Amino acid sequence: MKLRLSIFCVLLVLAFGSSLLLGSRVINPFTTNETGREILFSIRAPRSVVATLMGTALGASGAVLQGILRNPLADPYILGISSGASLSAAVGIIMGLTMFGSFTIPLLAFIGAVITGGIVGMMGWKRGGLWPERLLLAGIGLSFLFSSLLMLIMSVSTDEGVRRAILWIFGDLSMSDWSLIPYGLVFITSGLFISIARAKALNALILGDEFAYSLGFMPHLERFILFISVGLMTSASVSLGGMIGFIGLLVPHIVRFFIGADNRMLIPASAICGGTLLCIADLLSRSVAPPTELPAGIVTALIGSPYFLYLLRKKDVLGV
Amino acid sequence: MKKAFLAVLGLHLFFAAVYAGEVPSRIVSLAPNLTEILFAMGLGDRVVGVTSFCDYPEEAKRRQKVGGMSNPSIEAVVSLKPDLVVVTTDGNPMEFEGRLRSLKIKTYVFRSRRLQELPQGVRGMGAALGVKERGDALAEMMEHTIRRLGIKNPPERKRRLLFIVWPEPLIVAGTGTVIDDAITLLGGENIAAGAKGTYPKYSVEEILHNSPDVILIGKGQGHEDMEKVSKRLLDRLKNVSAVRNGKVFFVSDLLYRLGPRTCRGIEEMAGYIGK
Repeated sequence: MKLRLSIFCVLLVLAFGSSLLLGSRVINPFTTNETGREILFSIRAPRSVVATLMGTALGASGAVLQGILRNPLADPYILGISSGASLSAAVGIIMGLTMFGSFTIPLLAFIGAVITGGIVGMMGWKRGGLWPERLLLAGIGLSFLFSSLLMLIMSVSTDEGVRRAILWIFGDLSMSDWSLIPYGLVFITSGLFISIARAKALNALILGDEFAYSLGFMPHLERFILFISVGLMTSASVSLGGMIGFIGLLVPHIVRFFIGADNRMLIPASAICGGTLLCIADLLSRSVAPPTELPAGIVTALIGSPYFLYLLRKKDVLGV
Repeated sequence: MKKAFLAVLGLHLFFAAVYAGEVPSRIVSLAPNLTEILFAMGLGDRVVGVTSFCDYPEEAKRRQKVGGMSNPSIEAVVSLKPDLVVVTTDGNPMEFEGRLRSLKIKTYVFRSRRLQELPQGVRGMGAALGVKERGDALAEMMEHTIRRLGIKNPPERKRRLLFIVWPEPLIVAGTGTVIDDAITLLGGENIAAGAKGTYPKYSVEEILHNSPDVILIGKGQGHEDMEKVSKRLLDRLKNVSAVRNGKVFFVSDLLYRLGPRTCRGIEEMAGYIGK
């Protein structure tokens, strides 16, 4: 098991390295000139770091959510966090808000995500605890509400504003720079640490609340802690680069095929694989039709879904 | 055979005469550039409906709104009882035009999308709307400006330009746009010409590689503070020759619309390229 995890790590390093050096133009770090160095350090490096961070966050939160909601269809976006973030970011983009310069849109997205997470948490809270079904339904309800508000705003604004908003929502890594990375790193690593630390509790929660209780875990408390960790990771990831589909939903399933359903392994492995996949997707998104860039979110789904379907056909079950 | 030919010719002349002779009295415009052309041809007082994006001239804002360019409301148009609706192939859905015709509402389709097609388009529109002289005069003025500004002897080394429509996500003007036409007319080279799509999402790496001599940033609809929005992008481009030599200019939105003010936009651009 440790071996497989190390293989995943090696893959991540390889993906990260190739996303730095490959692309529409290949950069040789040893013989490069001024421009090449600049592209490497101030454009590709932050971009690959953001891709890794986002992929990590989405993969891990997908694994955690499928556990706490006991639902194989759960993904970080099902809680409505991303629609809240998209809504507030799109409003900012369309209205051309610039109060905090280039921090404005990521900040708006983060605020939108946190507020939505808070509402979902409140809705899911009943009789002194968080209930999986309530969380899920509250998330879906809010998602619908926010998506329709988003459509409403888009249908009454200029085509150009709508296009910008759509590009942002589909995931835009092209403007990643070092300035946002420290914040993203703090939120995402703390979320990741919390969820890995509580992985054992998550294993118990999946077996049912009574079972978890008998093993010495407080189900409601554990769910609350894990929910917070997911909220942190998802909010940070959406504000770093918009919505990237596929990773949160399907990467945990793919990883389960290889290393099984033990969350102590599953969460870190999903995180690593998510990062790897997004790095590769971002590399492809800027290399397929240069100098035009495609949204990375579309590429992740395009390369990931066929592979997932292949695995589904080949292997046995989709167990959570 | 001859008779039939004459009959067709006669019929054609008859209809042409009727159509050209009669200036429509209630016109609905479904695009901001068409609204501007109508006002420039002196038909402003006959325009009864415009889109919510028609903001020039000032008077156009006071006309009844019929919705956006891509989603005008058929009810709003019909209720204005227009005797002509002008639509453009550049932004209006053509199904909408078909719908209008099926409701027996006359339409005029403006097909010019590029700079070189503009004078001809204005001529055609003037003739069809019964103000041939004014249309011709406007078109001649445009042709004159285009001839005057056009570079006769292209310089040895072309000035390399990039026109940024929006910095984050980075959207630039590619081939097939009026902006690209203007750059070519002025003897410049649009570094984004190779990208797919008219307004492609462009790669920042490419700008660093191609290091344009001049960067123009469109000011857009005016409610955004473009200098603030572009700051982060320009910081990353600090080693590009345009940024290093202070040749980054914020330009008006004149070139976004193919109409009477386009020529002023070209003149403005010529000023920046020359600097």
